[in-house]
Amino acid sequence: MLTADEWQRYDRQILIKEIGEEGQEKLKRAKVLVAGAGGLGSPICLYLAAAGIGMIRIVDHDTIDLSNLNRQILHGTADIGLPKVDSAKDKLALLNAAVKIEAISVAITEDNINRLIKGCDLMVDALDNLPTRYILNKAAIEKGLPFFHGAVRGLEGRAMTIIPGQTPCLRCMYHGDAPKEKFPVIGVTPAVIGSIQATEVIKYLVGMGDLLTGRLLIYDGMSMEFREFKVSKNPQCEHCGEKGKRS
Amino acid sequence: MAIQITLHKTHRQYTGGKESVEVEGKTVGECLKDLIRQYPPLGKEVFGKNGKLSGIVEVYLNGATAYPDELAKPVKDGDKIQLVYFLAGG
Repeated sequence: MLTADEWQRYDRQILIKEIGEEGQEKLKRAKVLVAGAGGLGSPICLYLAAAGIGMIRIVDHDTIDLSNLNRQILHGTADIGLPKVDSAKDKLALLNAAVKIEAISVAITEDNINRLIKGCDLMVDALDNLPTRYILNKAAIEKGLPFFHGAVRGLEGRAMTIIPGQTPCLRCMYHGDAPKEKFPVIGVTPAVIGSIQATEVIKYLVGMGDLLTGRLLIYDGMSMEFREFKVSKNPQCEHCGEKGKRS
Repeated sequence: MAIQITLHKTHRQYTGGKESVEVEGKTVGECLKDLIRQYPPLGKEVFGKNGKLSGIVEVYLNGATAYPDELAKPVKDGDKIQLVYFLAGG
């Protein structure tokens, strides 16, 4: 049941016939884990909170540095030195106090991932490294939770949606690790990719549209092009393939 | 008609800025070897020290994933191979 304030706040999106009152109530009931409160996590959290997601659990172990502020738009100059999740919680409360924000300042590990995702309907990838993405992907497969992947570098980004048991997963495609580097990036790139991820989350929760499953979307801001690659399940995948089932 | 390999912009520094290169071969692996024959510095970018495909390069054939055993995948004239660089930032 939506309150009078909620009817007013979400009026424009309730007008989207695929959302309507029923879709808005689904968003209100949703519990979402966002892994990372940086470049991708900022637009993801902002748009999910604005859309009226019931609960957002944000996990990030890092503190805010001046060099984060070209892209991590949840945070400002006055927040330097604070845990990112605390700054995120404060900003999101200002945007939409009706959204419950759980701020957890820890590093995601194989040991704590099951505890971190407990009670959540899905996970969103806003991470900056592959090993932790693999931990999330594996947990998503094991728990049957949808997983919304995104990554950026420079003016390029990518996104893909994973529905365990139905679609290829991240580990089907990725095998190695990226070189350790201070990766180049400008804020508009995670803004584009994070917005695509948030769109996918909203579509999934409402049950509308075609998800970005089995398709890797690549955005190139330099040439201003979007390309798609068809992604198949890898029978040798360590997480969702026959090899994964044996381990 | 040969097979065309499209390079990620990260790799174009090794081809004088060329976005795509025509190669010959019966498999994806043979085509990549022909690419490296033409542009040897690309070798260390595409293949790891063990001779396997580098973990930070993805290979797509005609717009689709080619695993498992990407390098053994047969190709025919007119096919397009795309080399894509891995992204991990957030």
